[in-house]
Amino acid sequence: MFKNEFTFTKRQLGLLLLIIGIVGFAAVYGIDLVDVGREGGIGPVQRIALGALALMTVLGLTLIPLGDDPA
Amino acid sequence: MTRPKPMISSNDSQQLDTAVPQQPVSRPLWTVQRVLLGIALAILLFYFVVYVVYAFNLIRFPFDYDQGEGFELVDVMMFSQFQWPYADIEQYPFYGSIYPPLYHILLVPFAWLFGPEYWYGRLFSFASTLVAAGAIAYAVYRQAGRTKNASFIGLLSGLAFLSSNIIYHIGPLFRQHIPMFMFEVLAIVVLANADEISDKGKRRQQLLLGFGLLLAAGYTKQLAAFTAIAALGFLFIRQPRRAFFWGLGFAIVGTGIFLLINISTDGNWWTQTVTANVKDFIPAQAIGLFRLWFKLHGFLIVPAVLYMLYEVYFARISIYSLWFIIATILNGMSAGTWGAGDSYYGTSIAATCILSGIFAARVLNRDWTFNNNIYNRILIDPFRRFAPLFASIGMVVIPLLYIGYGRAVMHLPTTGAGFRQIADIFDVQPNALNGFYDSAGRLTGAYADIGHFTTQADIDAGYQIVDFVNATDKLVLSEEAAFSLITERDVITNPVVLYILDQVGAYDSSALVAMLEQQEFGLVILRAQFYPDEVNRAITTYYEPFEEIRMNGFDYILKRPKS
Repeated sequence: MFKNEFTFTKRQLGLLLLIIGIVGFAAVYGIDLVDVGREGGIGPVQRIALGALALMTVLGLTLIPLGDDPA
Repeated sequence: MTRPKPMISSNDSQQLDTAVPQQPVSRPLWTVQRVLLGIALAILLFYFVVYVVYAFNLIRFPFDYDQGEGFELVDVMMFSQFQWPYADIEQYPFYGSIYPPLYHILLVPFAWLFGPEYWYGRLFSFASTLVAAGAIAYAVYRQAGRTKNASFIGLLSGLAFLSSNIIYHIGPLFRQHIPMFMFEVLAIVVLANADEISDKGKRRQQLLLGFGLLLAAGYTKQLAAFTAIAALGFLFIRQPRRAFFWGLGFAIVGTGIFLLINISTDGNWWTQTVTANVKDFIPAQAIGLFRLWFKLHGFLIVPAVLYMLYEVYFARISIYSLWFIIATILNGMSAGTWGAGDSYYGTSIAATCILSGIFAARVLNRDWTFNNNIYNRILIDPFRRFAPLFASIGMVVIPLLYIGYGRAVMHLPTTGAGFRQIADIFDVQPNALNGFYDSAGRLTGAYADIGHFTTQADIDAGYQIVDFVNATDKLVLSEEAAFSLITERDVITNPVVLYILDQVGAYDSSALVAMLEQQEFGLVILRAQFYPDEVNRAITTYYEPFEEIRMNGFDYILKRPKS
């Protein structure tokens, strides 16, 4: 990745977005599981973040079939 | 403009697959398209005239038009005297600033020459929007193949940016938000093709300029951080190694400046520009502004989204697509915080104008190429035989999109020479102050109510308040700085800064409340009562209203000490 000529392919970008989406979704959702004493449950900002991360996951999945086309 | 060639241009690699077969354009269709494009241009040029008249109306208005303008001017004056505005807000004069310094520093030479005046800050902002519009036009022209169609659509895109109600509202204000747009747009346009420059020296120069402009945007207003994320994200996708080292340098310089200011201001910079910006999120405001943004700009948002999807699945992802999606989501969320407003969508609107412009120019140029992949086979190939029909429809739909946009963002005065006649012809009735019509209406969930022209009665009302200030020898507590600046008195407090720091527990109002209790102020001028609760309570307890003056649509309440 740190070679001068390296550039992301659609597949690599898809995988990256997929991982960020899944890990991010779990982390944002997990805030309430870890900090159980927090009031209000899943707040509006959390909901937007979860939506964006879910979208990122789907986008990542759809990019994977595009193979080695440069991103 | 010339009649489109029947040839299809393909400006990319051998992997690409031309989607639109070569077909000549019929003369009647070409004529219809030209007429519609002419109508679209006329509409957007009309809004440009409205914008210029509005700007000159505001430039000669000597008081606050939008809440907070005067405090930006105070920041300029403090910098012109080599003082930081990030002072201790718990000590007299209880003044602080929540904005970075660049805009104010750029205006310092004007302050030295002309003193505390509103006109030069507004003129600078107005000029900034023109530069941003020019950069948008150039970006479209360059990305769409430098054709005549691209230059015409570039012109429409730049005008579309200035025609947006949101850009129109804030364009000529004495606010740092507008030059931030300018630096953001310039940075994105400079960085867009930097990685494609083969000459190492020239590429470094371009990257240096781009990152310098990003820093300038960030030190004009913090919101530019989202544009920096988009730019770094783009460079990371294209070449991670280069993105890492340039990003590291960018972070070191940015953090260095930050620490330097923080040390110089005894930590007040951190409290006022970072702590104070952690504000409550108001979902209703966020949703309302999102709907407003889409209602006004939908005609351009749809082609912008289509072009973004095209790049994601059938071409290479450009910096503009990444900027569009990041600015829309993150700035849109920020627009829902207390004190934010429609202006937070300005960056997204700039990106929308660029992407929709590239889309429009490529439709007119019939310049579409698709990577040969699974989605091409499923979504494009079955419709390939309809390509000539789609191309012909596109020639008419593109100008109609700009005409539709022109209708959606309608805003004009319904009085005054020329404007009254136009309003009469189209039966436009005023729905805002001073006979103004604005399709944005009153902004959902935010406090801004701007866009109308000021009148001589507004100026007279302002000087009436100035007379009351001159009538007292004691200190004056004014929610707007203009009255203190004009009468050469101390500007005491910046109420919004006190309020938001109070909300996060970073402000103790005891000293100010004590002064109010001792009735050290001969006059208190209120407009929106943005002070912290304890301060508002003390004002109500120890001061009584004696005059109410309406200026620019707001009722200014004047209070004197209770006897």
